Amino acid sequence: MLAPRMVEAFEHAAGAVARGVPGGATGWRGALLHIHIAPAASYEMEALAEAQCVVGRGIVGDRYFDGTGTYSPKPDTREVTLIEQEVLDALERNDPPLQGGPIRLAPADHRRNLTVRGVPLNHLVGRRFRVGTVILRGGRLNFPCKYLEELLGLPVYLPLYNRSGLNCGIEVGGTIRPGDAIELLDTP
Amino acid sequence: MTARLIMKLQVVSAVPTTPDVLRVVFRHPLRPELPEWTPGAHVDLRLPDGKVRQYSLCGDPDDRAHYAMAIKREADGRGGSLWAHANLTEGGLAHVSSPRNNFPLADGTRHVFVAGGIGITPFVAMARALAAVGGDFILHFCARSAAEAPLLDELRIVCGDRLQLWFSGAGRRFEPALIGPPTPGTHLYACGPQRLVDAVQAAADAGGWAPDRVHIERFAATLDENYKPEPFDARIASTGEVLHVPADRSLLDVLRENGFPVASSCEIGTCGSCECGYRDGTVIHRDQVLPLGRRQDRMMPCVSRARVGVTLDL
Repeated sequence: MLAPRMVEAFEHAAGAVARGVPGGATGWRGALLHIHIAPAASYEMEALAEAQCVVGRGIVGDRYFDGTGTYSPKPDTREVTLIEQEVLDALERNDPPLQGGPIRLAPADHRRNLTVRGVPLNHLVGRRFRVGTVILRGGRLNFPCKYLEELLGLPVYLPLYNRSGLNCGIEVGGTIRPGDAIELLDTP
Repeated sequence: MTARLIMKLQVVSAVPTTPDVLRVVFRHPLRPELPEWTPGAHVDLRLPDGKVRQYSLCGDPDDRAHYAMAIKREADGRGGSLWAHANLTEGGLAHVSSPRNNFPLADGTRHVFVAGGIGITPFVAMARALAAVGGDFILHFCARSAAEAPLLDELRIVCGDRLQLWFSGAGRRFEPALIGPPTPGTHLYACGPQRLVDAVQAAADAGGWAPDRVHIERFAATLDENYKPEPFDARIASTGEVLHVPADRSLLDVLRENGFPVASSCEIGTCGSCECGYRDGTVIHRDQVLPLGRRQDRMMPCVSRARVGVTLDL
């Protein structure tokens, strides 16, 4: 097993720069809809009713916590990954022009850990926010990969471009559950 | 390389079809439909110790809710079948990959199948598909006896008089020379013990069959024991990085060690999971799965190597 090599979110090249740049939506309040983990690369995601978040590691039982993920050998910020339910809704609506037809990407299939609603993830690089009592730091935007496309047999690469979610580090660990509130903590 | 989803499936039934062969049917506990497959496809069964074993699907591709496979207990095998026989019982869970097909039905007008023992499994689905559309085929099935012929009842129903049984216990042995010369539109397939598939290949060669008309499924690696691996360098096209592959390490191992996530499964050159593109260099292909036409720019880094150096499309 490869030891996980995490880059602290605000030390990531993207997070570090964004940290010092003001802006982004404020005043929103979102919710955690689903938690999913997978035991290793390519394994189907499993839904959790609650999850333990550990600083510097990730979600207990997830492939990036254990260092068994597809990208685990690459040092990066990927303790927790999030995606917006609104993006999944857009894929299903078949918004033009990047799709050939409606794409149904179920929360168990997109391979991000947390599916959230009402959270502007693209505004959270370099920001701190809370999920229930757990505090996350936005390190970089998630990027779609061809691997996901192969795994699902769905043409999701282009439709997910620039809205594939957020890779986070954990500042304060703890237990999270679907239904937890999500709020911005600082506005530098 | 193609990534395949690994699912946690539940055993619906596990029924012996011979004293040594268990017919296991799986379903997904949460999803009504499993990924699609075509006759000849196999799945990977992932064992708890990380080992991976391949089994052909022998059910009906139109039944999207279930995967069926026949697993032979190999007492002196590599341990996978013993685990399966001990643990795959009704209600049990196992990690099973999405299907992949390295042994598809060819686009022909007549199909001659030769199966030995458990090698029958891919042909059950092929025969069923052909029978459904009135396709022309004959299935030669070699086994010791009817009692030791896996899935025999199912095959009799699917094939009718297109099933030719060769039971050595009754003194009826399949004679590969029966295959004869090729006829237009005919494809020949074999799956089973090494001795049988070698004999079929030899008979096909002697009969003048073109290589693209002969399809052999091998589940055991047939690496040449006299092959002496030499060290070589692998250059990564995207970064220019050069990785040294010592004689006693596989290219796959060296890639992984250096942070390149390459999917793999059998690691003996039969499954095709770790397929990788290459640009220049002389590759020594040692796998059983890549068709000749793709060997000029694709390779299997689990067993294949290079003379002096190779540039990989990574």
